[in-house]
Amino acid sequence: MAMAVGSKGSSMCDMNVTPLIDVLLVLLIIFLIITPHKPHGLEALVPQPPPPNQPPPPPSQNPAVEVAVAKDHSLTINTKAVTWNNLPKQLQDIFKTRAQKVLFVKGDPDVDFRYVADVMDVAKGAGLKTIGVITPKVEAGQ
Amino acid sequence: MVKLKAPPVVADINVTPMVDVMLVLLIIFMLIIPKLNQKIPITLVKTKNDVTLQDANKDNAIIISITRDGKVFLSPGNEMIQDPDQVLASKVKDLQKDRTDKTVYIKADTRARFGAVTGVLDDIRGAGVQELAFITEDISGRLSGSGTETTATKNGTL
Repeated sequence: MAMAVGSKGSSMCDMNVTPLIDVLLVLLIIFLIITPHKPHGLEALVPQPPPPNQPPPPPSQNPAVEVAVAKDHSLTINTKAVTWNNLPKQLQDIFKTRAQKVLFVKGDPDVDFRYVADVMDVAKGAGLKTIGVITPKVEAGQ
Repeated sequence: MVKLKAPPVVADINVTPMVDVMLVLLIIFMLIIPKLNQKIPITLVKTKNDVTLQDANKDNAIIISITRDGKVFLSPGNEMIQDPDQVLASKVKDLQKDRTDKTVYIKADTRARFGAVTGVLDDIRGAGVQELAFITEDISGRLSGSGTETTATKNGTL
């Protein structure tokens, strides 16, 4: 009798894993759908105000390169007009001979942000490391 | 002769696995929905030469969102800043205290006025912020063709 009971008990030992697998599969699918997307972005700098009681730095041999976006979305590099198509090539030409890969970006207050962001995007594509955003207060020297 | 009796036929569907799955779904949606609701409607700029910003996903990353109509939100806390010129600098300064990564993330809508963005930059410049990152949407993987093509099409629509 004892032998029979023992053998019967061992045959009941299997766990029903189907509901567990169901739940785990649903969890897997849900986490696949809401994968945390990695944020992307463009790094930039804001020029800091100069320390007080210090004369302005002497003008260097290579003046800073500044791309400006006008109200009608036209572009100028240091007052020289360029088209959007030519911008990557122009930037590459300018910075080929420069050691400092620094570009300043300026925009009319009324243009959409995306045009300025596009300039930064193109500049990053041209291999520029540092992009400075010119704000009204920076221009005023504050 | 003893006739073996089969167990009575059960006509009910076994609902236990379904209930399990439904409960898990319920719990997951309860967790997700509050997070979805607090999102600020912002269409990001699409760029190709961006870098991955690992730290922007952290809970304590300083993110300033600028909506299309010029409203300014500051995260963490996700609060709307009514008068950025007055309060934004001090708030950012508070958040930056005892922190090594001083980067401020700017999440500006693609059609926000650039004047609104520079206004915010001027405000936080007073707080000593130097390092910025504009959060954008990466389209380099999805878009085929060279950069000149896309700028050409954009130029045509201007």
